[in-house]
Amino acid sequence: MQRQSEARLGPLLLLLLLPLAWGKGPSPPRAAEELQVSNRLAGQAARVALHYLNYRLGSPSALRALGQVRKATLKTIPGIGHKYYLQFTTEDYKSSLNVGTCLATVFYLKRKPRPAVNINCTYTKDQKQIREDDYSFYKKMRQQTKPIIGNDIPDSYGNIEPALEPAWALAVAGSSYLMWEKSTENLGYFMAQVKNVKQWITKDDSIDFDYSVVLHEIPTQEMISCHLRVIWTPGHPLKVKYFCLSENQWSESEEGSGTESGSTNGIFNEKEAHF
Amino acid sequence: MFLANPSNMRLILFFSALAGAAWCLETFAGDQVLRVKASSEEEINKLQLLETLEHLQLDFWRRPSNPELPVDIRVPFPSLQAVKVFLESHHIEYSILLEDLQVLIEEEKQEMINNQRRERGTSNFNYGAYHPLDSIYAALDDLAAEYPSLVSKQTIGESYEKRPMYILKFSTGGTNRPAIWLDAGIHSREWVTQATALWTAKKIASEYGSNPSITSLLNRMDIFLLVVTNPDGYAFTHTNNRMWRKTRSKISGSLCVGVDPNRNWDAGFGGPGASTNPCSESYHGPSANSEVEVKNVVNFIKSHGKIQAFLTLHSYSQLLLFPFGYKCTNPADYNELDAVGKAAASALASLHGTTYKVGTICSTIYQASGGSIDWSYDYGIKYSFAFELRDTGRYGFLLPASQIIPTAEETWLGLLKIMEHVRDNQ
Repeated sequence: MQRQSEARLGPLLLLLLLPLAWGKGPSPPRAAEELQVSNRLAGQAARVALHYLNYRLGSPSALRALGQVRKATLKTIPGIGHKYYLQFTTEDYKSSLNVGTCLATVFYLKRKPRPAVNINCTYTKDQKQIREDDYSFYKKMRQQTKPIIGNDIPDSYGNIEPALEPAWALAVAGSSYLMWEKSTENLGYFMAQVKNVKQWITKDDSIDFDYSVVLHEIPTQEMISCHLRVIWTPGHPLKVKYFCLSENQWSESEEGSGTESGSTNGIFNEKEAHF
Repeated sequence: MFLANPSNMRLILFFSALAGAAWCLETFAGDQVLRVKASSEEEINKLQLLETLEHLQLDFWRRPSNPELPVDIRVPFPSLQAVKVFLESHHIEYSILLEDLQVLIEEEKQEMINNQRRERGTSNFNYGAYHPLDSIYAALDDLAAEYPSLVSKQTIGESYEKRPMYILKFSTGGTNRPAIWLDAGIHSREWVTQATALWTAKKIASEYGSNPSITSLLNRMDIFLLVVTNPDGYAFTHTNNRMWRKTRSKISGSLCVGVDPNRNWDAGFGGPGASTNPCSESYHGPSANSEVEVKNVVNFIKSHGKIQAFLTLHSYSQLLLFPFGYKCTNPADYNELDAVGKAAASALASLHGTTYKVGTICSTIYQASGGSIDWSYDYGIKYSFAFELRDTGRYGFLLPASQIIPTAEETWLGLLKIMEHVRDNQ
């Protein structure tokens, strides 16, 4: 109960704290190197930031893909790691329409296993519509008496059955957690295909999906098979557990808001705010 | 004067068949056509006598007139022996022109069906869909048959599993003209590339003569197009594993199969960005050109001797790349290649707004050794470019078929820009 109200107040609080956050926000530090917008490491870092965002938003209807990198700066902190400062546009994952700009920092730390991400974005998509779409998917899944199952989404020919599209989107959201965790400065990921999806009918108010996904790893070109368990209630953080074939134990997402590894400061519904 | 050229022969056959059908002669099985050489007026008279014997049902394709000309007679099977005895006993020279008419008619019928199919073939073929290897190979035949004065199909060798590697040659003549090379599908899972290449073949073939750019290009240069560079891999993506990338060669000492054909070229071979592990997707292979698919292309390019541009299609990422990949230094022709690349990307984007990034392989995608365009550039082919087609990761390799034609159309504009520059800078 408490967590729910925190989640609702959360964004409002963050909004109020925004000016503070700004002070600490993206400003090119000293020994910083401006990168070309076409630089692959900049693009890669932007994608990592979006994996994190997509995971934290936990909304199949609000998934974003990378548009264009507008500005990129790299700061090397000797002995600690590399920090990227990025500005990039984003597209709606499904429609490819522009849905806003993000500012992000992506910190690849030598000692920590996953990149630390700070990201804030404008959002031109209607928040109400997103919530409605999410809720309608959630409701449909809650009403299933027979569990949803599916294979090869998309299929070899790129087709996605319309009925399975929201389950696919949830897989993207869940895979985003996994891809964020696995990404390094040099290794990036795309979710190539859902090999298998199976719904677990739950007694509580969450929806529960089991996925086998294939990730495309760059630059090695390897196809990584992972098993993913995604548990979701709209408005709550995604719960993700995963196991990839190259690993020997399950990895799990932390519950609750605010992790040490990153933050999403202020996702607000405003048209093209100027930074 | 009746001339027995092939089309006349066909007419005769056709009418014979009609006549046969009309007289309820459903088959010509066993019927033969004899060519009779009358050496004197007397022999001519004897043959004219034969003509009058209606019960023999002889069908004179060439009638007896004078000894200079052969006499061709279709002899129905029941009358064969009688006619041959007649000719032999009168010492009239003859030979068997057609041994079994029915067989010939069947072949003819089949050829007509084939021709009809071919003529409809390329206009029936769905360029906006993904096809298995056999269908692609049939489409190549159809293109060569439909545009015979422009398009010919050649083989440059076989794959590891002995599949033919076919190229299409687009040429308006000349001898060994300077040429442009375009290949697709070196990585088999990149399905939009083979599909785009096939569409491009149809585009070039069908618009030569009407499209001024294509026409002026082909009036001066030839184009060679390899639609499926890795046929074994492509077949495997249909039968076993949609995500297969490499060749299907067996590697001694390993249970794993296949070599990354785009790490196997002799350009910084074995360097960074390629794996030594046979089980890896970017395994470079035991040695440069160890893959027969790569070797076949290298041999073709080298023996042709006048290839001016080497263009290759990959997916996905929406990039237009030029050398180098094996080293992170710029090529000597950086400025020109960058300018051409940017012009091409701009032309490409003009159609559907698809944005491409342009740059060297190393700075734009990643360092990778043993790549094809690095080899071609170091070999002396200045205009060496690699396209990474749609999309940027949503569907990746599994690009919906509905995007094939838009992709091919926009890519064509980019390709044309490059080819025009090559044409104008020979």
